[in-house]
Amino acid sequence: MSAAAAAHGAGSRRRFKPDRDADEWHGRYVPYDLVKEFLIALLVVILLVVGLAVVFASPDDKPVTIRSWSNASPVDFAQTAITELDGTSGTGSYGPPYNTNGTAQSIGFFAPAKWAGVHHPIDTANDFVLGPLATLPNDPQVGAAVSEYRAASPAQQAAWTAAYEKAVADATWQNGALKVPAGDYGPVGTIVSGLTSMARSGALDGALLSSRQFYGTDYTKPLLFIADGQYLASLADHQHLSGDQWGMMNETGNWPGQAWLWLYTLWYQVPPMKTSSNADLQVFSIMIILTIILALVPFIPGVRSIPRWTRLYRLIWRNHYREVERPPGTSGARSGAGPPKVPASV
Amino acid sequence: MPVLAMIGSLVGALVDLGGPGHYVHWGFIQISWGNLIVIGLMAIVFILAIALPFPHRGGDDQ
Repeated sequence: MSAAAAAHGAGSRRRFKPDRDADEWHGRYVPYDLVKEFLIALLVVILLVVGLAVVFASPDDKPVTIRSWSNASPVDFAQTAITELDGTSGTGSYGPPYNTNGTAQSIGFFAPAKWAGVHHPIDTANDFVLGPLATLPNDPQVGAAVSEYRAASPAQQAAWTAAYEKAVADATWQNGALKVPAGDYGPVGTIVSGLTSMARSGALDGALLSSRQFYGTDYTKPLLFIADGQYLASLADHQHLSGDQWGMMNETGNWPGQAWLWLYTLWYQVPPMKTSSNADLQVFSIMIILTIILALVPFIPGVRSIPRWTRLYRLIWRNHYREVERPPGTSGARSGAGPPKVPASV
Repeated sequence: MPVLAMIGSLVGALVDLGGPGHYVHWGFIQISWGNLIVIGLMAIVFILAIALPFPHRGGDDQ
């Protein structure tokens, strides 16, 4: 039974509403070959894809790895490595889901990251620095430095890392070696130099990817380590891929990007999200609310009437309305029931 | 010449889009020319889809 029949049915108390109910179709039906339409559309899309690929190709930037980063910018790598060792890096101070050293994003009481807790634990000192160095088989100097660091008190470790962090700010790269001004940083200099050499050889990429699974697919650690440095951010800025550059929509070079993400990235450009430390959660919440509203359009009075108010459907089906609204008796006038009775306004 | 390099030169892109990107700035809005052109093409396709007559056999509805 149609909605209209239900609305008009005997004993029914529900009044017919044009923005909610539809008249049952009494006109004629014509066959239409959907499979044919699908195949034609598929063929057109295939030709477009192949043609555009031949003419424009596609972006193929080399991936940034810890090896490429530490070779291109070893000083930035060393400056980042010390922040991983003392836990002041972006990852080390992030909070859930990696650790408890930071405050999770929240909107009032709504704090999903906090509720989920630390479910991907990362101790940057051990996971990014000391652990990988311990896998080096033939480097007794680095091994001794790691042992000395581990045996020291937390206060001593903090004093060493603070001294090194200050010194490495003026570091340079000369003749294939990291040159750091002298200071009282104990074994930390050897540790960071050893990690830099390990990174430049590519061994650190492998060490951070090691997992219990046969195929390592969890790139979380190397990606976080790289993101903690300035190198990746500078590359992203140069390619207009940063969040404050509408980067979510962009692609490298002059290729078009993900234009359909315009609404998502728009929110990051306007206050308060533009400067908020909870921007990700705020934007996510806005998009969830908008998505729910979109899904519920047929149930929202007023909003669901917009198609009838705009009358765009009459433009699309103009031939149909021209025929059925032609005066009876004129050539081409259709007999029988007319189109669904859709008034111009509610 | 290695086979792969030869194939690459044969089927390489006719138009190189790998150079520095070009962007339009308008207030806080920043959009690449690539995205702007694609959005414009989508708008044109939408208008054409409405404006062009639907192919149909004689006597069919639409």
